[in-house]
Amino acid sequence: MIVKNLPIPKRLSTRMTSRTLVVIGLGWLGVFFIVPLLMLAMTSLNLDGGAVWENYAVALSGVYISAIVRSFYYGLVTTAISLILAYALAYYIVFYSENERFMLGLVILPFWVAYIIRYLGIQLFFSPNGPFVDVFGSNMGLLFSTEGVIIGLTSALLPFAILPIYNSLKSIDQELINASYTLGAGSYRTLVSIIFPLSLSGVVAAAIIEFILATGSFLGPALLGGPGNTMIANIIATTFRAGFNIELASAIAIIYTVILTTVLVTFNSVVNIGEVLSDL
Amino acid sequence: MTTDRFLRRSGLLSVAVFVYAVLLVPIVVIILTSFTPRPFPTIPTRGISFEWYLALLENSQLIGALGVSLVIAAFTSVTSGTLGTITAFGFVRSDIPYKETLSTLMLLPLMISPVITGLALVRFAGQLRIGSGFVAVVLGHTVLTLPYVFLIVRAELVTFDRELESASRILGAGPVESVFNITLPVISPAVISSMLIAFVVSFGEFTATQFLVSSGTTTVPVIIYTMTRSGLNPQISALSTVLIGVMFVAALVSGLVNR
Repeated sequence: MIVKNLPIPKRLSTRMTSRTLVVIGLGWLGVFFIVPLLMLAMTSLNLDGGAVWENYAVALSGVYISAIVRSFYYGLVTTAISLILAYALAYYIVFYSENERFMLGLVILPFWVAYIIRYLGIQLFFSPNGPFVDVFGSNMGLLFSTEGVIIGLTSALLPFAILPIYNSLKSIDQELINASYTLGAGSYRTLVSIIFPLSLSGVVAAAIIEFILATGSFLGPALLGGPGNTMIANIIATTFRAGFNIELASAIAIIYTVILTTVLVTFNSVVNIGEVLSDL
Repeated sequence: MTTDRFLRRSGLLSVAVFVYAVLLVPIVVIILTSFTPRPFPTIPTRGISFEWYLALLENSQLIGALGVSLVIAAFTSVTSGTLGTITAFGFVRSDIPYKETLSTLMLLPLMISPVITGLALVRFAGQLRIGSGFVAVVLGHTVLTLPYVFLIVRAELVTFDRELESASRILGAGPVESVFNITLPVISPAVISSMLIAFVVSFGEFTATQFLVSSGTTTVPVIIYTMTRSGLNPQISALSTVLIGVMFVAALVSGLVNR
């Protein structure tokens, strides 16, 4: 099918520069994403009456601050576990597997399945009628607990860690590894001195993505945690939906976003976040 | 040396099998438990049953939600696909100041927790008098899926050979015609793939969606979440398996288009 003689007025077609396209895209995102976020920030400041920092004082106390601290703690633990598992699998796929395409396909497959379904699958796995209890007799406290949330977050987010590490391992020049062996290094020494340093960019990328997604998770703690495992996302949702306190919910959201942005900007001086996400 | 390599290989293999289990067991458990003949979600060991799928068919509220979810996902994939492609074009083809920073801005919806996006949008929709429901959900899903389309199409455009466009121009076609006749067909597998991803993300999104749905317009993930709150039963597994089916079809189409 050939498109010919499009009825585009001359004036429009000369004005439709690439720059206009950028303006359309950024403008749309600005109106429907950035502006709503800024309005949320204003809401948190009680601009239509009340003390300006009141919501922030509440958000930084009691159950709210513990949920915030807990989120970052869970985020760190999940990131650490995911990096180890992801590195082992990526290493296996790159250097040992026979059918790399297929093995990678199995990693990408869960990407296509919604989070809610995968978290539910884990809940069913550890549920009283599930396969784990059938085999071991009890779920060993792995459901509705800290362990449950960590297992869930790790399982759900793992592909995000495997892919960047895989890409960085894949791009290592095989000649460098051969040279290391030729010069007499064993496989352990080669891994530590050659392969790992060269894959570091992928590891950092994986860590950043895991940390962002894990700390902001709603469904992980909602489906696999107990009452004592609520994270920031859950507290925000409950404050708004059950407590109808959008001012406080906004304040928690802003505090969380500011902390996360600070962490990311600090990292951004080491690696470029945009490049990290483009790696996916 | 060979025994050493053998040991390391089998050690790594067992770790790999474990990691694959962590990745895939949740999905397998959902699918298997949907075929149980018993009234609670167990892995069927003696015979399978389709009664939970039949029960789905009789639930008109569910069928309605499935329709709503599909329509929302279709709208999202079109709006997000169009906007994302337009923006990727702009970014690849123009020299604007702060290009890197601005393109990172396009990825912001991936970094902000969807709870915050949902909260911000429900507030915004309320003030614009759009209210919650269909339009609000499509807007929210477009925001959430835009980065995927942008990233995928941009990566494709960066490697696109612009000589092809020049050839079209030399042969007399205008700039816009060249883009429609040459560039878009060449990058179309990537665009289609990114639209399928937008479709699937929208179809399964819950966290932001829970704020944006109205009682008349509910999506399947919201129903699944509500169902899990009132106890697990095999019908939830059956419904989830239907969703997995739709998502796998999308993945398959994406794979075929990109061969």
